[in-house]
Amino acid sequence: MYVKGLAAFAAAVGVGLLSGAAIAQEVKQEKQSVLGNANVPPVTQEQLNAADKNAKDFLLTNGNYAQTRFYPGKQISRDNVKNLHVAWIFQTDVKESLETSPIVVDGVMYVTTSFSHVYALDAKTGQQLWHYAHKMGPITVYCCGPNNRGVQVLGDRVYLATLDSKLMALNAKTGEVVWTTNIADPELGYSETMAPTVVKDKVLIGTNGGEYGIRGFVRAYDAKTGKQLWNFNTIPENSVGVWATKDATGRDMHRNIQAEKDMLAKIGDPYAKLGGGVWQNPSVDLATNRIYFVVGNPSPDLDGSNRPGDNLYTNSLVSLDLDTGKYVCHFQYIAHDVWDLDAVSPTVLVDVKDKGGKTIPGVIHAGKTGHIYVHDRKDCSLIRFSEAMVPQENMWVLPTKEGARMLPGANGGVEWSPIATDPGQELAYAINLHQPMTYHVESTAYPNGKLWLGGAFKVIPSEKQSGNITAVNYNTGKIKWQVKTPEPMIGGILATAGGLVFTGEGNGKFAAYNSSSGKELWSFRAGAGVNAPPSSYMVGGKQYVVVGAGGNVQLDFKRGNNIIAFTLD
Amino acid sequence: MLGKQMMCGAALLLMAGQARAETIEDKVAVCAGCHGEAGKPIDKTIPTIWGQQAGYLYIQLRDFKRGDRKSEIMQPIATQFERDDMLAIAEYFSQKPWPDLGQPRAPKDVAAKALSASASVGCPACHLDRFQGDGTVPRLAGMGRDYLAKTIADFRTRARGNNPGMSDLMIATSPDDLAALVEYLAGL
Ligand code: HEC
Ligand code: HEC
Repeated sequence: MYVKGLAAFAAAVGVGLLSGAAIAQEVKQEKQSVLGNANVPPVTQEQLNAADKNAKDFLLTNGNYAQTRFYPGKQISRDNVKNLHVAWIFQTDVKESLETSPIVVDGVMYVTTSFSHVYALDAKTGQQLWHYAHKMGPITVYCCGPNNRGVQVLGDRVYLATLDSKLMALNAKTGEVVWTTNIADPELGYSETMAPTVVKDKVLIGTNGGEYGIRGFVRAYDAKTGKQLWNFNTIPENSVGVWATKDATGRDMHRNIQAEKDMLAKIGDPYAKLGGGVWQNPSVDLATNRIYFVVGNPSPDLDGSNRPGDNLYTNSLVSLDLDTGKYVCHFQYIAHDVWDLDAVSPTVLVDVKDKGGKTIPGVIHAGKTGHIYVHDRKDCSLIRFSEAMVPQENMWVLPTKEGARMLPGANGGVEWSPIATDPGQELAYAINLHQPMTYHVESTAYPNGKLWLGGAFKVIPSEKQSGNITAVNYNTGKIKWQVKTPEPMIGGILATAGGLVFTGEGNGKFAAYNSSSGKELWSFRAGAGVNAPPSSYMVGGKQYVVVGAGGNVQLDFKRGNNIIAFTLD
Repeated sequence: MLGKQMMCGAALLLMAGQARAETIEDKVAVCAGCHGEAGKPIDKTIPTIWGQQAGYLYIQLRDFKRGDRKSEIMQPIATQFERDDMLAIAEYFSQKPWPDLGQPRAPKDVAAKALSASASVGCPACHLDRFQGDGTVPRLAGMGRDYLAKTIADFRTRARGNNPGMSDLMIATSPDDLAALVEYLAGL
């Protein structure tokens, strides 16, 4: 016990320096690390189930198991949000992209940074309670930055997935490691950046690696022991599908089906190296005991010549049984994708109107294509898709050696950024990118776990980029309002019962908008990119809004190391 | 040129005699013959390995041994090492300070061209802020100019075939943009 404590202390004060990884990115500060005083009561499953009605805590990455990012508190409102001011700023030791969704349990906040560090903070004062500095293995292989999107707490444990592809349980009070499980081999291109979802003593986790020829999966691990309970391969052994020639919106994808069939006869089903990463948390339907998530791009990204077929279940919505991991249904947005316009933003469970106007349980997803897709939760079928939130041009022109221009660019549309919904207004809020790009194709064989893009996507330097915040009525598919931003947007958004949405930009602006009209009501300049999803919570009778300002690797937005909490006087 | 080659040959012989060397210092003694006593390579086409990312160094040794990265010089050297040796050697060099090769900063117009090309492909998405690298992605800032030019050219022709993804990105970037990048990166 004592030895363990010492080890944790070492981790808390110095390992970041020894780890060798990214010394240049780490800002070293002498800090008094007090251990063992995060005085949190254990989080129960009942609390997690009711997270959607709980304005005190922020218990799940996207607010609740449905992932609505709708915060039910309304102390901060349209009328008083103009008085919002900084309550505290916490500076982490790692100055690199922040994508964390702060989790708040009874006045204690858990945030993560790039390179898989975890901090427990006093949510009222910003004071550090403990710091877990992950000792990174030497081999990390990832596509889009050393990011981490957060943790989840169940009982007295904090669950974390690390860049070197480990799943860990930490003691919620002290940050000590309780158990560690290797998820997959980083040398083959596997890495973890998502936050786990913990439900009914299961830790659910996907994987990154779609740029490296992995075979993707979603898994459940035993929350008590770290033992694997089930595995679902996102790429089934029969990945060929139905030879779809049109995407979900009915546009021709210009597939050469005969050439693909000939290739299939020659090489067989390409399932083993077909990619299919899962970037973000699944939604959990507690009533039916099912989970819903989206699967990312096939490998290699831009070259389809060696992967004949629809490449199931890449670029798809998938539903599984929570207890067994068995397949329930899927819907593929883009078969045989060669643009990396895949599915990454987390799914949201809301009631929706079906085609006949009847209210049914739905599931929605915002695609890199720039559409919000609305599905029937029962069988994953598509009910409707929204108007495009960004310009679309030349879809689906095939990538060429010289580069073919198509909009949206490969980051979307909507990137991994979670959307928010306000069921009362039937609105979904998404942040968008507009980045004109050219798509280039090159063909090479599987490179043993190395970067396998099959070409390149290039931003066209002479064309202007921009972003939007868009509110879409998911029952009509119509855009209700849209706010233009000077740069493409990545990070996330939060809606509140106070009639507000909060989101940030790469230039450091963090702002609150009227959720019915898009009118800007308050803003703040963070000095570094605000490219993380905000959370909200109550402590000492006051509502706070908190967000990370760390910039973004992918779009090279200005880096910082700040967790900033705001409140009213 | 001939003298240099002979010297490298001598280093190889020296190393062969040390194949059963025990300590990490013994194992890495031979490297200095080319990669430099104080981390400054003896020839401009030889890369800096002092202070390089450990994951990257390991993967290169692994690839030389597998033959995925072709090099008449490095292949026989790497072949003698097992995975654990490679990891230890990688760790050893990663802990050394990165040497200052004293290369000049790129002029403003060259830097601007380089940054535009870098933003177009998104080099910092993998090589990170200020091109410091991490894990299996190498640091590029301050790397020897001639080596950078050579290895980028090798990526382009796939003579360096151990990372087709990097080759694809280099092929998608024009030669004069790459020339600007070489000058810019060397001067960081
Ligand atoms: C005889 C000269 C010589 C010796 C001795 C030598 N190297 Fe090299 N090394 C080279 C050259 C030349 C290259 C570049 C190869 C190429 O790109 O074709 C290289 C490349 C490398 C690389 C790849 C670096 C990069 O940036 O891609 C690593 C790692 C490396 N050497 C490690 C070592 C280690 C470790 C030792 C000692 C065990 C060693 N070398 C000994 C000449 C040498
Ligand atoms: C998607 C990730 C990614 C992007 C984007 C990327 N690189 Fe790389 N780069 C890598 C990886 C991984 C390696 C290591 C290659 C290997 O495994 O041998 C590498 C290696 C290199 C090397 C070899 C360094 C050495 O020591 O031998 C150079 C030079 C390089 N990259 C330059 C660039 C430039 C310039 C750009 C932008 C125009 C760029 N890279 C964009 C991932 C990337």
